[in-house]
Amino acid sequence: MSVTATTEPSGGSARRAVRPAPDQPKGGAARKKRRPPMGAPGIGWIAPGFILSVGLIYFCIVYSGYIATLDWDGMSPVRKSVGLDNFTNALTNKLFWGALRHTVIFYVCTFLGQTVIGFIFAALLQSKIKLAVVYKVLVFIPVVIAPAIMAPVHRIIFATDGTLNSFLRAIGLGHFAQPWLSQTSTALWVVILVQIWTSVGFGFILFFAAMGQIEPEVLEAARIDGAGNIRVLWSVVLPDVRGTVVVLAILNAIGSLKLFDFPYLLTAAGPAYSTDFLGTYIYRETAVMGHVGYAAALSLLLLVLAVGMSIIMSARGRERDKRKAVEADA
Amino acid sequence: MLEARSVTSKVILQLVTTIMIIPFAVPLYVMFSGSFAGQGWGNYRAVFRVPNLLGYFRNSILIAAATVAIVYVLTMMAAFGFSKLRIRSKEVFFWMMMAALTLPEVVLLAPLFTTVAKLGISGTLWSVILPISALQVPFTVLLTRTYVNGIPDALFEAARIDGASTWRCFIHILVPLAKPIAVAVIVFVMINAWNSYLLPLVFLTGDHAGVVTLLPQHFQGQYNDDQTKVLAGAVITALPEVVAYISLQKYFERGMAAGALK
Repeated sequence: MSVTATTEPSGGSARRAVRPAPDQPKGGAARKKRRPPMGAPGIGWIAPGFILSVGLIYFCIVYSGYIATLDWDGMSPVRKSVGLDNFTNALTNKLFWGALRHTVIFYVCTFLGQTVIGFIFAALLQSKIKLAVVYKVLVFIPVVIAPAIMAPVHRIIFATDGTLNSFLRAIGLGHFAQPWLSQTSTALWVVILVQIWTSVGFGFILFFAAMGQIEPEVLEAARIDGAGNIRVLWSVVLPDVRGTVVVLAILNAIGSLKLFDFPYLLTAAGPAYSTDFLGTYIYRETAVMGHVGYAAALSLLLLVLAVGMSIIMSARGRERDKRKAVEADA
Repeated sequence: MLEARSVTSKVILQLVTTIMIIPFAVPLYVMFSGSFAGQGWGNYRAVFRVPNLLGYFRNSILIAAATVAIVYVLTMMAAFGFSKLRIRSKEVFFWMMMAALTLPEVVLLAPLFTTVAKLGISGTLWSVILPISALQVPFTVLLTRTYVNGIPDALFEAARIDGASTWRCFIHILVPLAKPIAVAVIVFVMINAWNSYLLPLVFLTGDHAGVVTLLPQHFQGQYNDDQTKVLAGAVITALPEVVAYISLQKYFERGMAAGALK
């Protein structure tokens, strides 16, 4: 069963009907003229969803804009207007730039890990392997279990007297044993490793579906031309699943910006803020320190980053769609 | 993908896969075997004695069910409206909604924190259900609208000519035909609601308002990091998800992958 089938009513013919949809809003004149099949006014049908999501989210953003100019703990009647001080404080704060740096490192590493390992797994399990279902379930279970539930297990594994260190001692590598989570040199890497463990299954499922769509004849042709396994993967399969790589790059970027669960639960953003991310920073300022005004300013900076990124990404996505359309026409 | 003709190369392929899988199985094995260390089943009995354990599960179920119900109804209605009905400046509304697509929930934390306190719904499940639903709706609408665009307009036109009301078209044509995408949406929203941690952590602070993702911390506090019981707690909280996934594999994989189909 292919994953991409989700957006298709039933099989191939409908799929062609769905395909043009992503660029529909900006589509050509023909699309604009398309009359809706029902003349009935639809505003009442979209209103509930629109009010809940757009209403709540835009309200929060506008309200953040107001709170961000205050020195306020969120509850007391005392609010002091401080203008743009919260923003200048954030932009000159070492913690803010530290969190950003961790986000970038985390993003690059988890994206690479998820993509490379997920790709290899998908290629292996699309080959004739025994027990493929068992392997698939094992790789995908981490995706399903809540990070908050797995975090204590990872803490026990990486603890000073934990599973990993006992294992290292057992095989005679005891001098490598170290307090993985409580030293600044390793804590961030543990968070990255745990995230890769959690997310490989997701990359795997996407690659697995994408590879299922490659025509066997194409692979056969490559083999007849004398290409080996590595060559086939690199020159035939990889170009074909490039779209999935782009999707993973986008989703990982968003995921890195909103990261909270693992750094909070594994290391509490420490030691010495070495695993601090924007998510944990905003949480701390809001719910622990009571600097709601400052947290709102941080949130708006995060929002600018997220929106800026999605604009860049959707622009690149459109470019890709155009290229694809040209290729299809040719 | 990979070709292995000879027996040796087949064995090598199998071996490579197995070795690569081991790191993924180890934490699951540690969790499971560790939960039986020491007192064996006694660890589980101790965890079940945690006051209000069932309350945590009940709250998670309520939150997931309410979020799924809200998102499902609003999404189907909005997708119907956006795809098949007449709306002035439709695309403006649509893009206003899509602007919220990649919004990190933590951005909402500070304003929600003060708003929830002001409304006096702090500690109630609504303080979690509403924001989670609001954050899911843009994405599920995008997904469902794309799908509904593929349902032929002729069906709706024919029904209208036969005198069917808009409501009947919705209930008798759209809802049944959109079932495949609805399943993906439901699984996707359910997992996100069940696994949500940040919003419950901030808003469900009362003793009776916890959810399952807050349980591990609760155990850690309760047992002073008695590892075996923390692990037993992790097994108990992870089990429903693992069982649900294994019995509904196809839907889970599609529902999670739905997140990639932008």
